[in-house]
Order: sequence, then C-alpha cells, then structure tokens
Amino acid sequence: MNVEQLVSQLRCDTTFMENVVRWEELPPRMAQYAPFPEGLDKRLVPVLGKRGIHQLYTHQASAVEKVLAGRDVVVVTPTASGKTMCYNLPVLSAILENEDARALYLFPTKALSADQVSELYELIEEMGVDIKTYTYDGDTPGAARKAVRQAGHIVVTNPDMLHSGILPHHTKWVKLFENLRYIVIDEIHTYRGVFGSNLANVLRRLLRLCDFYGSHPQFILCSATIANPQELAQTLIGRPVDLIDNNGAPMGARHFVFYNPPVINRQLGIRKGVLPETRSIAGMLLKNGIQTITFCKSRLQVEVLTRYLKDMVRDPLGNAGKVRGYRGGYLPTQRRDIERGLRAGQIDAVISTNALELGIDIGALDACVLCGYPGTIASAWQQAGRAGRRKGTSIVFFVASSSALDQYIVNHPDYFLHKSPENALLNPDNLYILLSHFKCAAFELPFEDGEAFGNSPAPEQLLEYLTEESILRHVDGRYHWMAEDFPAAEISLRSASAEENFVIVDVTNPASPRVIGEMDRYTVPMLLHENAIYMHEGQQYQVEKLDFDACKAFIHSVDTGYYTDANLNVNLALLDVEKQEEHQGALLGLGEVKVSTLVTMFKKIRFDTHETLGFGHVRLPEMEMHTTAMWWTLPDDLANQFDNDTLKNGMMGVANLLRIVAPLYLMCAPQDVAVVYQVKSPITEKPTIILYDNCPGGVGLAHKAYGMQLMLLDRCLNILTDCPCEAGCPSCAGPVGEIGLTGKQTAENILRGLTK
Amino acid sequence: MNLRDKLKALESGKPAPSAPKPPPKAWHCWHTSATLPLSEFPDAFSVSRDTVMLMQGDEMPRPFDPRRILYLDTETTGLGGGAGTVAFEVGLGYLTDSGFVVHQYLMRDYPEERDLLENVMAVVNRFDVLCTFNGRTFDLPLLRTRLIMNRLSPAGLDKPHIDLLHIARRVWKLRLKRCNLSRLEECILGIPREHDLPGALVPERFFNYLKSGDFTLFDEVLEHNQQDIASLCTLLAHMVQYYERPEDVIHEEDVFSMGVALERMHHPEEARRCYRLASVGCMKVAGQMRLAGCLRRSGERQQACRVWEDMVRRREGGTAPMIELAKYYEHTARDIPAALDITQKALSLLAEPGLYEDDAGCAMKEDLLRRYDRLRRKIRKP
Repeated sequence: MNVEQLVSQLRCDTTFMENVVRWEELPPRMAQYAPFPEGLDKRLVPVLGKRGIHQLYTHQASAVEKVLAGRDVVVVTPTASGKTMCYNLPVLSAILENEDARALYLFPTKALSADQVSELYELIEEMGVDIKTYTYDGDTPGAARKAVRQAGHIVVTNPDMLHSGILPHHTKWVKLFENLRYIVIDEIHTYRGVFGSNLANVLRRLLRLCDFYGSHPQFILCSATIANPQELAQTLIGRPVDLIDNNGAPMGARHFVFYNPPVINRQLGIRKGVLPETRSIAGMLLKNGIQTITFCKSRLQVEVLTRYLKDMVRDPLGNAGKVRGYRGGYLPTQRRDIERGLRAGQIDAVISTNALELGIDIGALDACVLCGYPGTIASAWQQAGRAGRRKGTSIVFFVASSSALDQYIVNHPDYFLHKSPENALLNPDNLYILLSHFKCAAFELPFEDGEAFGNSPAPEQLLEYLTEESILRHVDGRYHWMAEDFPAAEISLRSASAEENFVIVDVTNPASPRVIGEMDRYTVPMLLHENAIYMHEGQQYQVEKLDFDACKAFIHSVDTGYYTDANLNVNLALLDVEKQEEHQGALLGLGEVKVSTLVTMFKKIRFDTHETLGFGHVRLPEMEMHTTAMWWTLPDDLANQFDNDTLKNGMMGVANLLRIVAPLYLMCAPQDVAVVYQVKSPITEKPTIILYDNCPGGVGLAHKAYGMQLMLLDRCLNILTDCPCEAGCPSCAGPVGEIGLTGKQTAENILRGLTK
Repeated sequence: MNLRDKLKALESGKPAPSAPKPPPKAWHCWHTSATLPLSEFPDAFSVSRDTVMLMQGDEMPRPFDPRRILYLDTETTGLGGGAGTVAFEVGLGYLTDSGFVVHQYLMRDYPEERDLLENVMAVVNRFDVLCTFNGRTFDLPLLRTRLIMNRLSPAGLDKPHIDLLHIARRVWKLRLKRCNLSRLEECILGIPREHDLPGALVPERFFNYLKSGDFTLFDEVLEHNQQDIASLCTLLAHMVQYYERPEDVIHEEDVFSMGVALERMHHPEEARRCYRLASVGCMKVAGQMRLAGCLRRSGERQQACRVWEDMVRRREGGTAPMIELAKYYEHTARDIPAALDITQKALSLLAEPGLYEDDAGCAMKEDLLRRYDRLRRKIRKP
C-alpha cells in the first residue's frame, strides 16, 4: 500500500478518526530551477549531467552565484533539498581551477563528517580528478594524519577537533592555512548557546591564524529552518552574510495528523499511553510496507518500541532486521550500517531519539511518527522533515502524550502550525568563554599591541589581565604565552562535561567479552545501574556489574517480560553565598550551588500492559555538579497571600516563564540554564525561584542574570499579560494541565508583587 | 566595575601578579661554547656509514664523516608541544680534531627567539646529519614550528637524521624496560648523573627567570643540556660498537633484541649472527626459535629444521620446536610418518600434569589433535 491509499483508508476508519484532532494537508510544491551559474568550472557540468542533474534548484544556483561573487552566505533549506551542492560545487570548482586551494568542512558530529566524505568521494571519482578529501577527527589513525595535513584538499572535521587538534598545532597545517579558500559549516542551527558561543570564538582564532598565513577564506554556512538564521550566522562568524532561502526543491504533498490517544477512564480523565498508541500506528505503517521513522524522547522508549516492532515482523527469514533502533551510544559502525540500510531501503522502520534529527543522510522516508512533542517547534519540524519525498505523498503523525505540553499542542494545532520556530541565540562575548579562548589564541600566536580578536570587546583589557596573572608576558609590543599548560585542553566546547564515557561490555559469553556501546556518565545511573534491564537494538540485557571507577558496565543477554525504569531525584544545596541584595522586599542572591542527582530505586514494568511488577533498590554514588546559581526570594507578605497549593502553582508558572525568557536575555540555549522553584527553599527558608548554569563550573549565565536584577521578572510579566490565552499555555506560564486553573493568575500576582 | 575587576572576581585566589621588567635593549640571544677533551669520546671517530645504516632506515650521505654529524638537543617551555611551546635553549655539539665542541644558545626573553633560531640554523646548515634523542617526534617538529612562527625557513632541518631513542628502544627495551637518556647513561654507558635537574622542572626555570631575572636559574639547565649533548655522541659511538661486535656484548637479551631489530630492517644475515650469539642463558629458547624462524623466512628450511631438531634432542623449548617440525615434515618434507611421530611426542608432552593447563595450552592441544587426526587420515590413504 502506498501513502495515498493509506490516507484514504484511514480517513474512512471512524475509530481512528475519532482520535484525530486535526488533519492538515500541506500542498505539494513544484520544483523551481535555474541554470548553472557563470563561472562554475566547466568540468563540473558534464559530471553532474551524468548523475542526472541538468540544472540547479533556485537556492542552489543563488548560493553558488553569491559564493563565486565572493560573498559569505548562509543557506536555509529544509531536509533533503540538495543543500550539499550549495557548498560542494563552489569548493570543487575552486580546487579544479587551482589545485593548491583548500577547504575546511565543519560538522557538529563525527557521524555527519563520515557521511559527507562518502558523498564527496562519489562526485570526485566521477570526475576522475585528484582531489583529496580526508576526515580528520579523533578516529583518524596516527599514520594517516600526516597525509591529511600535507595533502588534503578538503579537510572534514568537527569544532572540537579544530579547537584542540588543529588550531594549537597550526604550524603542521601550513598548506591548509596558506591556501584556505572556503570554510563550510553545516547544521549551524546546532551551534546555539554555550556550544555556539564557543564555536564563534574558535572561528575568531581560525581567522586570526588565516590572517597570519595570508589567506582570506569565505564562509558557506547551512542551517535548518530556525527563526533567525542570518543573525545566527553573522554572530558565529562575526561578519555580514547573505541569506539564501529561495528553496527550489520540489516536495510532494504532506499530511500532518494530530492524534490524541483516546480517554480510557472518563472519571479520572486518563488517556491511553503514548507508547502503545505509537506502537499501533507505527505497526500499521510497518505492516503496509511504508518506510517509517519514529522519534521518541528517550533512549528507553526507543528500545521498547524497537522490540515491539521487531517482534511484529520476526520470522525465520530474519525479517526482524528490517526494524532497527538508532540512538546515541550505539557504536559508529552499527550506526553507519543502519544509515546505509535506510538509504538502500532495506530497513522498513527505524526508531530513533533526536540523534537522527541532524542532517545524517538516510534519504527521505514515507512516514514519520512523533512519539510525544520534542519540546521545540524547530525540533518538531526537523523530525517531521525526515518524511517527505520530492515526488509522492508523505505523512506525519504527532501522537500526544498526557503531559500538559503535549496536550496543549495537540489541542491547539494552529499554535504549532503557524508559530515561527525558536530563535537560536549565542553570546560569543560571554566573559568566561571569551577569556578561555583568549588564552588559546595567545598560545597559538602572540597578540600584538592593538590587535583585535574578531569583534570582541576590550581585547587590551583581557590581555592586560592575563599579563597580570603571569599567563602572558608583554614585551616589545607583543603578548607571549608564558605558561606550561596547553590551554585548549581545559575547555570543552559543549556544555556537557568532557568526562569519560562508560563502556558497555557484553559478557554473555565470558570467554569473549564484547563492547557493544557507550554512555555518558550522567545517564549511566539511570540506565546501567545493577540489575537494570538495558536494551540495545531491542535485545534485552541485564546489568551484572557496574564498575563506576573503571567506567565500565558488564551486561549479559536475558529474555524477560519486563523492562526497568529508574527514578531520578534532583537536589540543590547552597555552598556559598557570593552576593545578596534586597529590592523592594524581594531578596536576590548569587552563589555557588551543588546540584546532585541520585538514583535510588527502579521500577520493573511489564511489556505490553505496562503495569508495574515491582521495585528494586539502586546503590550508586550521587552525581554532583557544582555550578553558579542566582535566586529570587518572595517576601513574606507576598507569599502569605496564597495557600500552599496556589503558591506552588504560581511559582511553577513563574519558573516556566523564566525558562522562556532567560535564554532570550542571557543569549544562550534553553538547555544551558535550569530554573527550579522551591516553596520552602533550603537556601533561604522561604519560597524561592532559582536559576543556575546547567554545566559544571558555570559559564557566567547566573552572574549575568543577577546583574539584570528584576529585569527578567519584568519581562516575564510582559509576556504573561500580553499572552492572549485564558489560563495559561506553553508560550507563557504553562498549560492549565500543569499549573492548574489559577496558576496564570497567581504567577501574575507573584510577578507584580516582586517587581512592584 | 570595569572588565578587569570582574575578571579578578571570576578568578580569585590566584597569586599576585608581578610587574614586568624593562626589556633589554638589543634582542641578541645569549651564547656560550665549550670544548670537551676527545678522551671522553672513545670510538666517536669510528662511527661508520654502513653500521649507522644497519641501525636505522634513514639514508646517510656519502662520503660519511663523523665530524659532519651535528648533535642537537633543546630545552623547552613545555613538554606537550603546540604552537605556544618555545625552545628557549638549543644545544649543538660536533666533533673536531681538537675536541668535542658544544654551543649553547639561550633566549632570555621572547624577542630574542628570532636571533636564537638564526644562530642555530646557521650552524645546522653547515652539517650533513642531525643526531638527537627523540628528535623525530619532539625537538625537530618543535624547531620547525618556531621557525614558521618567526617566518624563517625550516628547510635546513630536512636532512638525514639519526634518532637514538628509537635505536635504543629496539636494543635495550627488553632488558631495561624504560629507555630514557639518563637511564641509558647509567646502565649502558656506566656514567650515572649526580644532582641532575629533572626534565619536568626545566620549563619553570625559564618562567621564574622571566619573573626574577636571576640568571643562576639557568646554571643547571645549561649543565644538564651540555651533558645531554655529550651523551648523544658517546651513545651513538657505543651503539655502533654494539652492532659491529655483538660477540663482545655481555647481555644476551641485548644481542637478541639487536637480532630482532636487524631482521626487521631487512638484514637477515646480521640478524642470524646475533640470534646464534644470543642463544645462551635466558635467551636460549627464544634465540633458537627466532633463528630458525629467520632461516625459514629466508628459504633455508633445512637449516631451520636442523635447529628445531637440535632443540628437541636437547629437550629445549617444550612443544614449540615440535610444532614447527610437524609443520615442516607435513608440508615441506612431506614426510607424514615423521610428522605424525613428532605430533604424538608433542601431545604426550602436553599430557604431563601441571604443564600447559591454561587457555593457550588448551588451544594448542586442540590444534595438535586436529593435526594428528589429519595426519592419521593422510597416512591411511596416501
């Protein structure tokens, strides 16, 4: 059955349609073409012709034209619109014309790099020219590195490797730096918040070195749909860019189905679970031979669903292999294998976390199922974009969970369909981040008196500061690095800490233990505690032993009728008050806090029925993170106006508002800050709302928020009063289901009381 | 609050900054030279091209003159490498007919680096061969970086190079485990260092000098570096002696290791000479097995067979030579009864209690049993 047949069948299925809240049909879009731009090397055109490309889409042509005219560009295109041509064509053209020319490709992850190289190889091979494309990352063998440095025309890497492996050793890359023509950065929408602020500074360092070697590279950037691609691009590279968004790629018709699971207990208003409902929708697609991707919000959900769907098609012919799970923690080879299988159409269903949201090439699929709302509009569109062929119809199902946010979205489809996706924000001039990169830059090349660092503020004050700290030595008009350390080693570009991952070892056969995956240390207590059922591609394993010090988990394969789900407790303790001040009765504080997360027990949950079979204890050390926090404390006369429950809902509303507002004014990503509220806080003994930097050590976001005093609360109040909703929605204090009927009003009263 | 105060607040608890000193007027680096008596360098003149080429792969110039080898060693501001690490001192040494000359160039502040590098390269350019200890991965790439950073040409460094660390590791790792220069001096050259400055403390001497201007901080650095340079010359001469006269070497492990190194460098005849010499004491079995293996790989199968047979007769090496013989009889000599016989011998040895009871022993036993069955089948229908 094809998608169109399925659509008409579903529309007649009254039981199914009862749960469909909205069925939106997005019309097909025709292709818009443009001729190959003048100035593109003539050797490219016949090669593209052989691959069936006789003209370009409008956005590709505009991108190539602008780049050939010497402009920096950012290309915004949906998934599968041929964006790689936008950079591969000008780059190959430049190298064909001058074999000394070099290009640097940056992808946010290793997986994406690997993908790109294989695609480039094909084009180059077809041309029969000697253009060397190499991946340079942590996996590049030592023996091959020299060749990459000397001879690579196109070097494909990631920001982390550029930061710690290439820039500090730039003298080994003379050829690249002297001849660098293009810097290609794909998926720039991922560079928001701390990661983006770090990358912006890495690029400042890169451009500084290019200047030393006398090259003046152009930028070609690509982004998925976000609200502010041009702004993001300009902040990242520190100079103006041309926006190209005249997408000319065709797209078949798309159906967007908002599905709300049926109520099964009318008295309690309980709905059927999102997992079983997703299971039956994905199962139906699988049975009808429609290639489908299902996105889940957690790794556990991915594994449970993978198992369900595998069981559905399991037979002696090995058809279970047509269903695959995909998530972080699988080994790279296994992931490549799944990606290949999807492209080749050998895999019918893949169940993934947001790991496949990025531009990893898996081709276009027929259908997509979102098991719960991924949290942001941008993310939801990106996941949905995985379904959609150039020709032919595709379909997306959004299956709502019972969470308040999901219920809001499913009941207000227009909110989702018509609101613009979120802004991506970053702040390259965050003092902590800037200072770290100043050190790296000074290590790489001494600063001269009066030298600028990109467009960063006050470089001479930072240099003077580092000189006073005896990290730099100012002599004869230059600032020299005068320390033994390797500064790049001290910074991890991503806000998550750079600590070692845990290795997962399968000891089912003790004689030949086998590493099957890895996991970051913050997730380990949840999924790899002793006796946990760990699932990997639908296969069940039980954790035999978790060796915390050696960062290893030993598991053996089992077959049980249940899976496990651990409970996570988060606690916040104050370590040190740095500053405190009072504003009209409201108390503001700034200090060091310890955020501890502890897993104490887990539930055993039966497959299919999802009933709880029992509990188990977990004995694991607490995971601790020291970071900086700021807080607002409600004055007694304000707090006493409400009863406990009302106060709680109101504070929850304020916290929700702060989660929306804080990233905007602190210029960071939503996940870079955390906001919590405590009705009786151990810090202040009073109702308190706390905002902290969500990464070890902090990066100065709480400091900045503290400096804004009551401004953030004021903005929260504006948003709240401007929001047309009646009693709360995800754009303000939160949906009614979460904050109750009076939550919005109480939040408003609290905010007015605090900012009066 | 200005930016600097904010930064202070961010990084509190740091030591108080020191005031920068006024810079010297002209940026010439500091230099010293010394001539050490030739009596300290026995055999240094007899280093020959052929032997050097036996020890390592780099092509050596012709004609080859030990007086045209430049010994080089640097002292640096860090051990990790990267563009921010500086070689603040470079020591150069060479043989002359009147003594071993050591030049040391030292920068007392960053602006002197350029002058230091120009001086060093002027000397480097006068020589045919460089000799270092770990220069391939450390000193030479570092100098290259420094030259590029100062916009000077690094081309002068591209010349034949003898890196003694790699040679030393091949020869002495088996016996000494660690092969750093001071250990080699003590264990191989028999000259232990007293009151030596540990290499890890060198960088901070330079930084402390920048802060204090106390030149005596460099005394031990310079002494340490001069000793290193001299040791390079002594060590090379010593290695050449080793390679030329393995029969004079007392440690059979070293001779054995030399054999392995020579074989790897494609000098099988020289390798076999070492294996024969090494086949005594603790290397008796390993030496003979390598010797036979080397013979077999050179196509001298019968000679290899004789070595194994001798070992079996003398009950040396347990099952190892028997297994090799079984392979030889079965596949080369095609003497199935002999192969069966020796396989049975090996199996009966394995049956002895207490021997070969670990995993490797089990695997070996399985292998032998498979061979045994196969040979039995072959003998039944020839």
